[in-house]
Amino acid sequence: MSLEFKEPTPVVVTEEHLLTDNRREMVLNMGPQHPSTHGVLRVRLSLEGEVVTACDPVIGYLHRGVEKIGETKRYSQFTPWTDRTDYVASPSNNLGYILTVEKLLGFEAPERAQYWRMIMGEFARIASHLVWLGTHALDIGALSMSLYCFRERELIMDIFETFCGARLTTNMMEIGGFSRPIPPELPGMVRNFLDVFPSRLKEYSDLLSANPIWLARTRGIGVIEPDVALSYGLTGACLRGSGINYDVRKAQPYLLYDRMEFEVPLGTHGDVYDRYLVRMEEFRQSLKIIRQCIDQVPTDGSLKLAESNYVIPPHDTVMTTAEDMQRHFVWVIKGFSPPKGEVYMAIEHSKGELGHYIVSDGSPIPYRLRIRTPDFVNLQSLPYMAEGAMLADVVALIGTIDIVLGSVDR
Amino acid sequence: MSEDRQIATNPGPGPWERTGYWGPTNPDENPAVLAIRAAFPGAYVDAVNYRDEMTVRVEREFLREVVQFLRDEPELRFNLLTDETFVDMLRLRDDPRFDLVVQLYSVPKRRRLRLKTGVNDGETVPSLVPVFAAANWLEREAYDMFGLIFEGHPDLRRILLAEDWDEGHPLRKDYPIRGFREYVQPGYDTPAPRVRSRLRRP
Repeated sequence: MSLEFKEPTPVVVTEEHLLTDNRREMVLNMGPQHPSTHGVLRVRLSLEGEVVTACDPVIGYLHRGVEKIGETKRYSQFTPWTDRTDYVASPSNNLGYILTVEKLLGFEAPERAQYWRMIMGEFARIASHLVWLGTHALDIGALSMSLYCFRERELIMDIFETFCGARLTTNMMEIGGFSRPIPPELPGMVRNFLDVFPSRLKEYSDLLSANPIWLARTRGIGVIEPDVALSYGLTGACLRGSGINYDVRKAQPYLLYDRMEFEVPLGTHGDVYDRYLVRMEEFRQSLKIIRQCIDQVPTDGSLKLAESNYVIPPHDTVMTTAEDMQRHFVWVIKGFSPPKGEVYMAIEHSKGELGHYIVSDGSPIPYRLRIRTPDFVNLQSLPYMAEGAMLADVVALIGTIDIVLGSVDR
Repeated sequence: MSEDRQIATNPGPGPWERTGYWGPTNPDENPAVLAIRAAFPGAYVDAVNYRDEMTVRVEREFLREVVQFLRDEPELRFNLLTDETFVDMLRLRDDPRFDLVVQLYSVPKRRRLRLKTGVNDGETVPSLVPVFAAANWLEREAYDMFGLIFEGHPDLRRILLAEDWDEGHPLRKDYPIRGFREYVQPGYDTPAPRVRSRLRRP
């Protein structure tokens, strides 16, 4: 190993580096290491004074080729990769991928597992919204919000940790259900969160909703009209902030969402403040769903589909019965071969519609695995909102789209 | 087999069993298929239903007109472009090599529809940017990953890979998983040894 250190050539600033021509336009690079871009987003801004005349988001700094990797992994091996696309709401990513594979295979998980999937998905939504609220408010100048939001997020992380042992990249779901039993203390932790969180949510609202600085920075900024929002393919709170009623949980229910009572909040003006209000209301609706789930979920029953060649057998029967030991061996060594076909399954992720599209050629490896992440599509609307806005508003606009660069770049 | 083992039962119809998310499963009853057949008899190729999902294959030249028709037709209103991507069918068939897959959703009707069109290497596909602004980045990503040109796209350049990436388009099936080139890490004289993957597609 050779350790050569090359001296960097010093850059001498000459007049050519300064603005020597008579253009009034200045090009400003925001990111990729700017703290307010929520990761490695780079935005190339053309400025005239403080007004943005052109905006070009440059993405791809976190591109890992997840779709290409998916074409080399067996179906069950790809679940941990979905954690790493949107790492602040990894149970939702697990859920979207697992539901797509289960749709391809043609079965669904037992009822108890579906309830727990809904609970974990809604917790992922709350955790993701908490990160959004903390960082969005931090960008605009409310420093203390991030401290409070991350304090409540710790409670959710503890729930994840109790359930599956991991906090961030959970890998908690499995084809056919869950691989782990529900810890006996988990329902108590969920109920404790349901008791604690509404008062904390009121604190957030008290801090921000009528705050004059918050109102001045968010009202009337980044307005998206309803038809423009549809044309840009926005989903999630960005679309509902513009007043269009599209929530996958209501429009095309998956899991047991058709048994749940909840409402879809809609904005009226389509600006940053409306999207803030929509997401604040989604906190309350998620709490409502979790409360119904934890009241209705059966306390005993299977958490995983049994007697299927597509599902890994439970550990105790693998150790005691010959059939399950054989099934386990085949499942681990060869994987399973789903039928030939193609499926697209969309779920309501915390950021919008998360779609997985799988083309199967009958082999244990997906032929094509496409992940349609919501924030990749939502981020396209940044130039539309930013052009004509002030430079300081660009920070608020990036925050309001709610991006995670791991999910944008995949 | 142990006595206390529970066999899970299916508690209710799953999403793919609840027909209606993609419209009627019979192509001869699906209003979107019927409308495409009536309005574009030359463009319609076939319609396939799998797991309640309706896939309509159309001719490549008519793709933009068909999508615009589906968006504007008052009975259909497919007004949300959900996804647009390619599938490389290299080992599954000979001609055409690629499939362009367009996923549409109708917010007022709550229906989905998938459009497909075949394209060979070197041919161009009509861009959907004049119809949906959402197609801009989706088509840039599809070009970046598969190297097929969208005719009429205003700003077709690489998006996820570097702008000066000169090693082809990675989601093609003939692109090796570890790339074409050996890379020497800084501080080393030879490239890192390659680990052979156990997983080879037959």
